[in-house]
Amino acid sequence: MISVNPHFAEKLKKFGAKTSYDCFGCGTCTAVCPLTSDENQFPRRFIRYIQLGMEDKIKHSLEPWLCYYCGDCQKNCPRQANPGELMMALRRYLTSVYDWTGLSRRLYTSMAWKIVSVALLFFGTLAVVYGFSGEMVTDRVELETFAPAHIVHPVGYVFGAVLAFLLLSNVYRMYRFVLGPYAGAIPLPVYLQELGTLIVHFATQARMRLCTDKSRWLKHFLLMSGYFVAFMLVNIDIVTRWSLTNEPPMWWHPGKLLWSYASIAMLYATTDAIIGRLRKKDPIHQYSHSTDWMFLILLWCTVFTGLLMRIFMELGLPLPTYHTFALHLAFTVPLLGLEVPFTKWSHLAYRPFALYFLRLKERALELQRPEGTAVGVQGAQG
Amino acid sequence: MGNKSILVVGGGISGLTAAVEAAEVGYEVYIVEKNPYLGGRVAQLNQYFPKLCPPNCGLEINFRRIKNNPKIHFFTQAEVTGVSGQEGDLEVRVKINPRYVNENCTACGKCVEVCPAERENDFNYGLDKTKAIYLPHIFAFPLKYVIDSRACRGKECGKCLEACAYGAIDLDMQPKEMALKVGSIVWATGWNPYDASKISYYGFGRYKNVITNVMMERLASINGPTGGRIVRPSDGKPVEKVAFVQCAGSRDENHLPYCSGICCLASLKQATYVLEQNPAAQAYIFFIDIRALGKYEDFYARVKDNPNLHLIKGKAGEITEDPETKDLIVVAEDQVTQKLMKERFDMVVLATGMVPATREARPPVEMAFDGNGFVVGGANGVYGAGCVHRPMDVASCVQDATAAALKAIQSTLGR
Repeated sequence: MISVNPHFAEKLKKFGAKTSYDCFGCGTCTAVCPLTSDENQFPRRFIRYIQLGMEDKIKHSLEPWLCYYCGDCQKNCPRQANPGELMMALRRYLTSVYDWTGLSRRLYTSMAWKIVSVALLFFGTLAVVYGFSGEMVTDRVELETFAPAHIVHPVGYVFGAVLAFLLLSNVYRMYRFVLGPYAGAIPLPVYLQELGTLIVHFATQARMRLCTDKSRWLKHFLLMSGYFVAFMLVNIDIVTRWSLTNEPPMWWHPGKLLWSYASIAMLYATTDAIIGRLRKKDPIHQYSHSTDWMFLILLWCTVFTGLLMRIFMELGLPLPTYHTFALHLAFTVPLLGLEVPFTKWSHLAYRPFALYFLRLKERALELQRPEGTAVGVQGAQG
Repeated sequence: MGNKSILVVGGGISGLTAAVEAAEVGYEVYIVEKNPYLGGRVAQLNQYFPKLCPPNCGLEINFRRIKNNPKIHFFTQAEVTGVSGQEGDLEVRVKINPRYVNENCTACGKCVEVCPAERENDFNYGLDKTKAIYLPHIFAFPLKYVIDSRACRGKECGKCLEACAYGAIDLDMQPKEMALKVGSIVWATGWNPYDASKISYYGFGRYKNVITNVMMERLASINGPTGGRIVRPSDGKPVEKVAFVQCAGSRDENHLPYCSGICCLASLKQATYVLEQNPAAQAYIFFIDIRALGKYEDFYARVKDNPNLHLIKGKAGEITEDPETKDLIVVAEDQVTQKLMKERFDMVVLATGMVPATREARPPVEMAFDGNGFVVGGANGVYGAGCVHRPMDVASCVQDATAAALKAIQSTLGR
């Protein structure tokens, strides 16, 4: 039995779904969608679910994660009902459903919560940095004296572990929601056999390449690879002190080149997205939820202050280096702390996991079917 | 007491009706028609609702009433360039473009045999060509040839002058201006089909076998470019599988936000053209909703039971062409079977909507319009009639025009 929430469409408005009732169900969006399939149809069907208040059905669905917001639907919708944005709103909603702390819902639906949370983490970080910092050496740059590694690194690991725990526990809830009835029917080897899907899509976001506009994938990949490189470098540095030393190494040092790539790739992709959202020309950038801005601004500031700090270090300017480092941390903490487990950035896990769960579901259905029956996978139709 | 004459702008079914109704109760009526013939869009149909008659049925009766009534004066290739004065006492300036063929024409057709120049046949929506001197269509009224000055090579050629035994051709004919004094005006300039090439993802204009519903009427028509054989424009092959794409432009915020009202029935009707001509043919109609208003539900109920007619709930998303065969592939979400459809067709008919002529060509007189260019209300002795009001079928146009005639009569009485 499926329960219906007649106020669901109203509730979704705060997640950015403002046009649910504009849709008259013609199905143009589904017809032109490069990502939909017979087995997993969207957007029209999901807009209909919204109109009917089928919250329960949506909660247990994977389809919103299979939509990559190519925007073809948005361009052709005769009602200008923005099917792509409605699917985006469903992803925001699902993110809030997966999150057991309730913070995600508050961040998505309340401006006050957003501002207070960001401010708290921002100023809290500054307070901690300046409160516990070491001496500010002024005749040369000594970052590690200002920010002693024996304090920064353990705090960083604890922070990272908390974030990972939050995100993975939310992924587990997602798994219970979308695979609930099938979970018992899937033998362990199947979980392992399908791990490839998870890894490939986590690393490449290959599905986005099915969109008509391929340039978006490239920009997204720049951002994601830049972030990944930066993330790895921070960890390698912490353990091996490979590039983060008081003595700036030569320009050709691989650590330095990788840092440059990461900073420039991320700065380019975020700047491009900010300009896109201001111009509102492409379907994907036409409608911006407040959390989209929150993500972009925090990320841009984080990358920019990180880059600035490295420039100051190169130039041998001690005080500017210390202060931008403090600012860099003050942007990084709310960015990671709020975006990764609770809002937009959580899709780094939900998207590849959705494809993984989809494969598991297909395998479960195959196992349930009598021998010799063909199964349509990934919706190839004649 | 105002001037007891009425100007009717537009000689289609609405204009003709208003003119005949007003004239038959004693008013002097002038019809100003832009085309070289009367009858408008109805003349271009194969069959029309409600009884699916050929157009000459209804039009011939009106033409006879016009011929027999000395109170009706009509001018073809004419347009209103200005209006002054007030209700009951209006002065209208009319420009008459040259036909280059005079009253002596007997429509013998000798001129066509010698004419070396060709023009796109707008009566058949560009599906074929005529000579520069041509008869608009075989039932044209007035039954006189006309020269298209844009295609004609002029006096240097002059072959038609020699061929004409009646001295009916006059290449020196000049545009004429005249002034009419009338009490009121009925504005019945009708409609144009929506420009389907603006719906880029349907490929009209790029793919030869994507045509519009008005073109389909010409293809099915006995006096059309194929003599009534429904064949593919690309290779002349009889059509075996045809798709009708509803709401091509209509009910679309990016094109025409309103429902054009007539296209569902038009496609149902056109599906019967195909199925009657070739009982083995298959017709698919892709729709959002089938809107068979009022008693036309009856027609829908009758047609939909044909096993070769497939009604697909789901708007066509995109049309692509197989460059080899020129077949067309239509994609849609079939909401009944819940399958994504990718179906191949010989030909696709776009059910393009109605755009009021007043949207592009605003009358040179004060009138009120809505955001889509439809006439709203009527005042100062000028009244809309027919499809300038809203999308309508022929029967509704006749009623609307009769009402407009009455309004126009009241205006001449100064009420």
